[in-house]
Amino acid sequence: MSWIERAITEGLKKVDEIEIFTVEGQSITAELRGKSISVAKEESSSGICIRTIDKGRIGASSTNNPIEWERCLQAAISAGKLVSPQEWSGLPGQQNFPSSKPCSDPQVQLGPAFLKDIIYGLIEGSKQYNADITSGGAEASRTRISLENSNGFQASVDYTDNSCSLETIHESSTGNEFDMSWEAKLDPFQTGKTAAFYAEKSWKGSDINTGTYDIVLSPMALGELIESTLIPALSGKNVHAGRSLLKDKLNEEIAVNSLKVYDLPSTTEGLGSVLWDTEGTPTKRIDFIKNGALNAFAYDIRTASRYGKVSTGSAVRSGASGSPGIGHHNLLVEGRNTEVLEEPAVFIKSVVGAHTANPMSGDFSVELSNAFLAENGELTTPVRKAMLAGNVFEMLKVIQGVSKERKVIGDMILPSVRIHDQTVIGV
Amino acid sequence: MKEPEYYEIRHIKGETTQIEVDNGRLESGGTSFFDVAVIRVLGDSGWGVVSVDTFDPDNKKKLNEYLAQGMALASITGEKVKIEPTEAFLLPVPSLKENPTGISLEEKADLLMGIERSAKIDSIVSTRANYIEKHEEVLFFDSSGKEFTYNTTRCGFNVLAVAGKNGLIQMASEREHTIEGFNLRHKAETGLLSAELAVSLLDAKPAKALTVNAVLDPELAGVFAHEAVGHAGEGDLVLEGSSVLKGRIGEDIGPDFLTISDDPTLPLFGFEPVDAEGSTVVKTDIVRNGKINAFLHNRETLCRIGDGQLGHARAMAGSVPIVRMSNTFIENGDAKREELFSECREGVYLKGSRGGQVDPGRGVFQFNAEYGYLIENGECTRMIRDVSLSGEILSTLHSILLCANDRQMNEGYCGKGGQSVPVSDGAPHILLSNAVVGGSVVD
Repeated sequence: MSWIERAITEGLKKVDEIEIFTVEGQSITAELRGKSISVAKEESSSGICIRTIDKGRIGASSTNNPIEWERCLQAAISAGKLVSPQEWSGLPGQQNFPSSKPCSDPQVQLGPAFLKDIIYGLIEGSKQYNADITSGGAEASRTRISLENSNGFQASVDYTDNSCSLETIHESSTGNEFDMSWEAKLDPFQTGKTAAFYAEKSWKGSDINTGTYDIVLSPMALGELIESTLIPALSGKNVHAGRSLLKDKLNEEIAVNSLKVYDLPSTTEGLGSVLWDTEGTPTKRIDFIKNGALNAFAYDIRTASRYGKVSTGSAVRSGASGSPGIGHHNLLVEGRNTEVLEEPAVFIKSVVGAHTANPMSGDFSVELSNAFLAENGELTTPVRKAMLAGNVFEMLKVIQGVSKERKVIGDMILPSVRIHDQTVIGV
Repeated sequence: MKEPEYYEIRHIKGETTQIEVDNGRLESGGTSFFDVAVIRVLGDSGWGVVSVDTFDPDNKKKLNEYLAQGMALASITGEKVKIEPTEAFLLPVPSLKENPTGISLEEKADLLMGIERSAKIDSIVSTRANYIEKHEEVLFFDSSGKEFTYNTTRCGFNVLAVAGKNGLIQMASEREHTIEGFNLRHKAETGLLSAELAVSLLDAKPAKALTVNAVLDPELAGVFAHEAVGHAGEGDLVLEGSSVLKGRIGEDIGPDFLTISDDPTLPLFGFEPVDAEGSTVVKTDIVRNGKINAFLHNRETLCRIGDGQLGHARAMAGSVPIVRMSNTFIENGDAKREELFSECREGVYLKGSRGGQVDPGRGVFQFNAEYGYLIENGECTRMIRDVSLSGEILSTLHSILLCANDRQMNEGYCGKGGQSVPVSDGAPHILLSNAVVGGSVVD
């Protein structure tokens, strides 16, 4: 009998249901300082999270030492005795999933040679412009996620992941870029070239007058701004707890009518392709914003049970170190496709301080990084220093169009977005 | 196997207890466990690092395998590394006024619920409180024969209140984290403070974007010191060319009454008894009397670029030591707080912090206040919200006109290189001239 079977058997003597989530992973990393690898690192990690449910009381505990499962089980049961009971619809039972789409690429190798090729590409790419490498690196990893519960659910999935990034500087002008994929299809040359491009081309920027401008947010800048504002507002838990501005706005127009924001767990374009969420609920497409109207919120079993809803398969975890929370798998933003830089605009590659946005109201004022005046599809004049101030929720209503090209940023797949009349604070 | 030039092992095991109260419900509460080790090996041309779970320091065979694995990794590095010799003197960990270990989970939960309950006043639509308690047992040993162990306990809580009215919602939060022991008793008023602030913010006006004189409270001025100076003073960023302070030791950067220091020896939230490479911790004045004075260093960065002291390497459990701040602050000036407002005359008073960020290579930083007030005729008048400041490192410090003599420290966490470590920041009230204030309203 495996330790998981023993834990379930022992746990069921004391609680109604038990769930065991395990993560095992290996990774290799090479870190650059200048053009040399300064640190090479291998990491092996494992983790288990045991969750118990007894008469609506949910307890959880985790450890990275599976030998200590009994201590972990006892801690989860103790935690469950402490918390407030709630309505609970039950953990998923046995299910047959169709054969999984590939999220694992054997070409992603956890060896130094694999990383050295990526590093070489980064360095060569950076030579296309006049900029020095300050830091960067490459990483490859393999992860196995397994979930088993006392209702008969049992499944595992293997992931690979590889990524690279580069930070560059030209005088006191900085640039950076990254690439990530589960497949061995990174483009380190282009990544290095883009990082160096922004460092060189942002040098000797001009001041910009304070005023309202049409802006174009790169996928990175868009991701930074929505991550701490729009995305938590779509969580059913925040909605019902009174911590979402979108509460009571279901079916209302909250964005320009061409805008779609949705979670697509089935796509293999991003990094989060998955058939079941981290509680075992089958995943599905969720249209959060459909044709500009707020259409849905995300739920896990805990929140859905409490408020008479059904889980949307949106339970996510960050490793095995805790209970699941509500999130998304591959979040996409789509809208009317347009050449976003054709008309004059302020292009913003990224922002400094996005996490200081007001997560409730969506208000923000952030410093720009690698910003340019742009028109006719070209970045014309770098902007020396400026801030962008506004409100993320109001921005959604004045989106003029999005680019066809999009970028994978962790669990998001985002285009560049053109937005009308935003406040830029310069001189 | 070729023998490593140097190796070190940092093994940390411990447990974390967390409790969450959400809108009057005890949402979660319990304890989790961890056991991680980092084996760092210095080869001919760089570092090889092996990170593992459930490390047994007595298993010499396994340790030798990890060392060999580290040496194999180091073979792909390409940078000759020298490290500064170091002595380890272990400071005593401050004793706990009340050890949280002896207090039941139920009692902790009851006290946290009391704090959260006190935030429930009129117009408050949501409340949440979190408690976290972390115990770490640290074992360090290296190839030079250094070996030490110590235990730390950090704990603290956050309480969040959300106020709502006519479709508008505003939030405010309070937090208290400490290394001095259990801190949930007699704190019910903390929840009330956050609630009253959130309600006040419903009627606050959005800030205008403008260039104006600004008085910063000790919390925000502490973040200013951390973001505007501290990060750019980290030796690893200086070494890799990512800091505008590179090559500027001795240059004027601010008024002669300005001193900005980092001091891991202080018994505050960023305290370390010894640094993560086994070096004795020391106070470093990054800016002294208005001049750039020293960088924060680990063994490698001090050896490479000089101008500073060892003792500033820190690491999250399971991660590689990197140069970090600990307790960072602007020293007291000699002005009285009231003088700052009368000297300011027209401007803004900015309070509290929602965090900040810096691009140290470009020398630009941004940070956000929780709220503020207009200063008119030297007096605080209307409340404003959602206001941030940005500036350039090399010019902004010159705009500090006055430092008061009322320094306070605040606790938080700082992220760098994927690692989050406990820190404290602080300052007295400071007066800035011509600060660039970001707000959503434009004249």
